[in-house]
This record gives sequence, C-alpha cells and structure tokens, in this order.
Amino acid sequence: MFSRNRTIISLLLLGVLNAQSVFNAYGLGLSKSTHHTASAGAGSIGLVPTFHPGVSFDNPATWPGLQFTYVSGSYSNRSIEIGSQVSSNYGNGFDKIQFVIPIQNRFAIGLSLKPVNDHNAYFKTDSTRMSFQGRDLTFNKEFRSGGGILAGSFGFAIPMNDRMGLGLSFDKLFGSSRDEESLILNSIHYRLFNIKTYSGSVFNINYAGKFYDAKNVMVTGYARISMTSEPVSGTQYQFDLFEDINDNYSFDTDDYPATIDVDTIKVSNIYAPSSFSLGLNAEFNNDLNIFGEFQLWNDQATNGKYTSIYKDQIGSKSHVGGGLVKFGKMGARSWQDRITMRFGIFKESYLLKNSGRKINENGITVGFGFKFAATGNQLDVAYRTGARFMTNDYKESIQEFTIGLSLGDIWFLRRREK
Amino acid sequence: MNINILNTTLGVCLVGLLVLSACEEAAIPVGVDNTPITLDTISFPVVKAIAYQSPPEMGRTEYLYFGKQDGFDFQYNLIKFDSTSVTANTPFSYFNDSLIVVDSLRLSLRFDKDSITSDAEFQLRYFPSGGDSVFNELESNYLNFNQAIASEIISTAQMEADSIDTNKTEVYLNFTLDSSIVNAFRDTSVLEYNRSFLVELANESSESFYFHSTDIQAGIKPELTVFYRQFLSDTVVLDTTSRSYLAVADISIITPAPISFEDSTTLSVSIGKGLKSIVFVDMGDWTLPSKSIVSSAQIIFNRVESDSIAQFKVISHPMTSEGIYERFTSFMDDPYDEDLNFFTSTALIDNVLKINHRKAATEIGHKNFTNFGFKLQSSFNNDPFTTVQFYGINNTDSYPVMRVIYVLP
Repeated sequence: MFSRNRTIISLLLLGVLNAQSVFNAYGLGLSKSTHHTASAGAGSIGLVPTFHPGVSFDNPATWPGLQFTYVSGSYSNRSIEIGSQVSSNYGNGFDKIQFVIPIQNRFAIGLSLKPVNDHNAYFKTDSTRMSFQGRDLTFNKEFRSGGGILAGSFGFAIPMNDRMGLGLSFDKLFGSSRDEESLILNSIHYRLFNIKTYSGSVFNINYAGKFYDAKNVMVTGYARISMTSEPVSGTQYQFDLFEDINDNYSFDTDDYPATIDVDTIKVSNIYAPSSFSLGLNAEFNNDLNIFGEFQLWNDQATNGKYTSIYKDQIGSKSHVGGGLVKFGKMGARSWQDRITMRFGIFKESYLLKNSGRKINENGITVGFGFKFAATGNQLDVAYRTGARFMTNDYKESIQEFTIGLSLGDIWFLRRREK
Repeated sequence: MNINILNTTLGVCLVGLLVLSACEEAAIPVGVDNTPITLDTISFPVVKAIAYQSPPEMGRTEYLYFGKQDGFDFQYNLIKFDSTSVTANTPFSYFNDSLIVVDSLRLSLRFDKDSITSDAEFQLRYFPSGGDSVFNELESNYLNFNQAIASEIISTAQMEADSIDTNKTEVYLNFTLDSSIVNAFRDTSVLEYNRSFLVELANESSESFYFHSTDIQAGIKPELTVFYRQFLSDTVVLDTTSRSYLAVADISIITPAPISFEDSTTLSVSIGKGLKSIVFVDMGDWTLPSKSIVSSAQIIFNRVESDSIAQFKVISHPMTSEGIYERFTSFMDDPYDEDLNFFTSTALIDNVLKINHRKAATEIGHKNFTNFGFKLQSSFNNDPFTTVQFYGINNTDSYPVMRVIYVLP
C-alpha cells in the first residue's frame, strides 16, 4: 500500500519554499505553531486530538490511540498579501513528514521531519533619491532570506496508568539558511551574502489524561513542556559586499572587487526555544469535540550577535485558540459519515527581543478529513485565513491551503485470534 | 462511488497545489527605514595641481613618424625585429648553415596612405656594434638616445606602390639590404643580438610621413624578409625562398613642439609634447568604513576648449611619491613614478573627464596606500600631437574635484 502511494507522496514533497513574510526577516524568523494538516484544520498547536478520536499526530502522548501504523505527510501552500498590495506572494512547502507505529494500544514510537521556523522573506524598498553636488542618485534595496531550521524528531509514548499517558520526544535541530542584502544604484547591484548553518536539540514532554468521563461527555487534558537540550549553535559565513557587475547573484571574476573576504564565525546559543502548552478537550457522545489551547513560547538564547536582515529577533510568543472537531467514523457505510470536520480560531502574539514591538497574528481555520480503505487512510485538507500585523507597520493577509495524506498499515498490532 | 470521490478530491487538491506553487514570488514593497546596507557620499577638493613636461614617450604610438608637423620635428625611427620568423619559427642562426646562401634582405614599412604623395628618399642604418640592446621602446627619447652609434647608411629607398588588386593599392617603403647584413644577425658571439635598425629621411622635409608601427591595431607591421637558397648537394639547389620577421619594438624619436602659455598654466596632457599633469586630492584622514565598497571615486576635470574633439582618452594612476606643484617644469626624465596596479583609462565625454579611481580610493580609505596624488597623461591611442587642457584649481567654476559614492553594509 505504501508503494502504491509513493508517487503521490513524492508529488507532495516537491515544493520546499514557504511563503515569504516581512516578519520572517527578524532573526531566525517566525516559529511554526502547526505542522500536521489535521491540526492546521482546527487551528490547533497539536496538543488536542484532531486526526482521530483521542489522537493528534503532533502529540506523542496520544499516539497509542492510533489503530494503525501511519506514514503521514503534510504540504501547504500559502498566499500573503501585504497591505494594499495588488498582487499576492505565494509560497509552498512541506510541513511535516511523519512515521508513527502504535504498539499494542499502549505504546508508540514515531519519527518525523518538520520545519521549525519560517525564514523566507523577499522584499524591496521604494526608490530613494538624493542629490550629490548636482548629480541625482537613485537607489533602492532588495532583501531575501530563505532556508531555516529543521527538526528531525524521535518520539515515543508510554502509559502512566489507564487514564494517563506520557509522550517523550527528542528533536534534533539542524539546517542552514541564507540571506542576501542588495542595494541597486544605477541598475548595478551591490550584494552581500550571509550563510548560516545550525545545530542544536530540544526535548519535549507531552502529557495526555482523561479527567472526566461521563455518559455524554468526556473531558481530556493535554500538556507539553519543551526545553532546549542543546542551544542552537552554528557557523556563520559572512561574505563581503561586492559589485555584481554581471548581475548573476554570485561573486565571480567579472565582479568588483577582484577578491572578497569571507568571515567564518562560530556562533553559539543563538536559538534556545522553550515552551509550555496546555489544552483541554470535551468530547461529546455524538463525536463532537470542543477544545481550547494555550501556549507560552520563549527563546532563551543569550547570543544575539548573528546576522539577519532586520536587527531584531523574535523573543517570545503566546498562543490562544479553540475550536470544534467532529470526527468521522472509519467503518461508516455512508461516505459522508467518514468525514471529519474541523473548525478553529486562534490568536498569536510575537514579541521582539530588542525593540519590544509586538507582532499579532490571528486566524480562522476550517478543515476536513476523509477516511478511506480498511487501514484508516486519511486525506486531510485545511484552509486558513487570517492576518498578521505590527502596530503602525506592515499588515499581512494570509491564506493557507494545506493537504495531508496519512496512509495506514498493520504493524505491531494485536491480531484477532482465529 | 467512494473511490471516484477520493480520486477526484486527490486530483483537485494536487492540481490546486501545483498551480499555486507555480505562481511567481514577487518582492514585498517595504519602507526604507531600519533596513541595512546604505549609500553614502563624500566630496574631496583638489588642492594642488600642475602640468609638467618630460621627453615624449612615443614607443606605443600606432605610427612611425618622419618629417615635420606643427612644430614637431620627427628625427628618426628605431625598429627592432623578432628573433624568429613568423612562419616556421626560423632563428637567424639557421642561416649559419653552410648549405644556406642568403641572397638579400628587405625591410618594409607600410605607408599610412594608399597613394604616393612625395618622392622623399629615406635611408637605413643598423647597429653592428650595438650589442644585445640598442633602444628601449618605453624610455628612449631625443635626449637620451645617441644616434651616433648607428652604422653608415646601408640602404636607401623611396616609397613605391604595390597593387594588391585592381581596386586596391598599398604603398610601402622597401629597403633592400646586402646579404652581408645577416652576418651580424646570425653572429653567435652575441647572445641576443639587437636586430635593430634606424630609419630616417635622407633630407630634411617640411612634410610629415606616417608609417604603420608595431602597435597599430589594424595594419601591417614593419617586416624584415630574408631571401635565401638551400643547397641539397654541391650541384642541386632549391629555388629561392624566404623567411619573414616582424617588428617587436619601434619608436619615433621626436623633438617636441614649443610649449604654449596655456600648456603651462592649465592641466594639459599631450604625448608629442610630453605634457602630463599631477593633482593632489585632499582626502584628509578619511577612513572608508570596514566592509564598504566604493561605487565610484571620480576626479572630475573640465576641458578648457569648448569645441568638439575626436575620441580622446586620459590615462591616470596614483603616484608613489610627493609631487612638486610650485610651477610648470620641464624634466629630463619623468620624476613621478606611478602605481600601475591602479591604472585607469577614461574617455573625455562632452568635454568633461571623470576619472574613476575607486580602487585607489578604496586602498587610501583603508589606509593601505598613501595618497601622494594622481598623475594624468594622454592615452597612447590618442593622436600624439593633440594637446588637451583642463581647468586647474584656480578656476572658480570648473575646478577639479573628487566625488566618492560608496555602499556600506
């Protein structure tokens, strides 16, 4: 079954570019709150169940609730419109690739690969004119950044008792990014590049527990504590400014000066995320779930001396959100009954470390998931619309379309005795 | 039914994603505030400037000059030929072979015009006692070259037409030389024989004659042809054949025209008159910010004459020693060495010369190079007898100035 759908998964992984945002030019960019399509459909940070009753792919503590082993991929496409800009900017990329194996309904292990932050930005300034002893000089600037930190994650779930479970995961952070600054004077580009590599690690403790279980309603609670194990360090390659005479974006023999220096700088403790998250979910007997989530996220890095286009960094973030999920039934005869419906609303606030300025983001999400085949395959689709803005500054209107495909198979599960 | 719905949904989603993925990513327009990388400018005054004269440097001109013109006296020309032939790379020692018999030599100069305008006679000398070197293309001039070391006249010639075809005629000055001349060339006692000739007018002439030099871009360089026969045995001899040797260096030795008042009171440049100028830009203690790049560092000069002029280029370098700016001076040798690493060649456009010395300004701004000022001289591609004058620092409107535009990270 996995091989049959390999082509589809490959197609989903074609793009690697997230939609740009001016705000991604601050430090390492905005941290991503949502990874799996099911979570995205409900505007969730991944604590509460959104994929399957009692299960969130983003919360290892809930993985034992899976009935099958899954390979799952999520891929998003986002358009961002800046202020009154006529045209929109588009970007796309994978949000998560995941492999989860539930073991005897009590344990689970999983592997995943996901982007941690969004560093993609491409913007330019208006033309600036200045007079220099009777000569008019007109110039503008362009800035680009891309790449970022990925997390390769290993997690497992263990039961605490028949009402509670723990999920532990270890995220190895790695990756590289590049940013380019250029000034265009008389159609000649003066460019400089910075290339950075990253390495660090984070571990997460996830909790899932059943708090109240009555005939008509069941209340479950979820929590996550994320702590930095090894703050992100890396190498920063700073290329000197050069005149890109042939405008080919790279330094070569046609450019000026004839040689440029590259400063190789080891940087440490540039990113050390920690967070505390809480979630509550009320499940009613008609499969309707109402949830609420709250998260406090903080970057405790002590070293701010690494390059970014804007000389400020995201220091902290808070998230408040809630929504509804009505799960579909896998064995339902009618295909309409197999559809999971999701709706969510959230608000996030980012705080810049140096200036203290706040970036606000809010969104409304809807999504659905369709179960098919006997092994719990699920196709999830999510749509999000919202805004991101800084007071008296840029405002971005965001629309995001995400698709996820989760393919199930039977591994390590109790077989029915013949 | 279910499978159809699934396939349709999958297809729509994938097509939607791929279509959106193909959309162009446009730049977001933002304000310039708080963005890195900036442009800055600074202007420096030229506080000292003077023209001076040194002997004309005619070694890199495109023509060899004979006669007189506009006060210039073209005394004679020196030509040195290559040690190996154009074809077959035959050295002169090849003719030492006892089976080789040299019949004659011919030295050819291509006249600039296609018709003979004068019956002027030219004469040729060589330097049998000149050792391995007779003249230096870059340094020899009318003050330091001793014409007396040349031999007696070994050949005379007049210009003659050579019809290439019915439509085209070329005019050459062909000297026929006795085969004995080659003895000096093939002499193995001198490690690298000078292979040089002196060509001059037999009689003084008020006319001027231009011949192609070895530096001409599109033309025929001076050529020395050796005609010889090769004996295969005592009785069997091959037909006469030849080897051609091209000139590798040549120079016109001229006496410059008199210097005018304007030449000495403006910033003037001329090859034929040996006029050059030096300027000192007061850059003070200016420091170029680290990692910055100079977009342009133009020293701007305004031409005195307002008439149009054929393309004229000025070569400029920073100097490596202090200049003397008190008064116009004629030197026996150019006293100002320049740093050739910072060569610039700038065309005069609309009677304004903007010499971009950004490499030198960068090094000066980074304190890697001492600012001794800049030297200006006429490009060797210009008409050597054209003098161009620029306003100096005493002109209230058109004084020279240096303007630097640089980009800071």
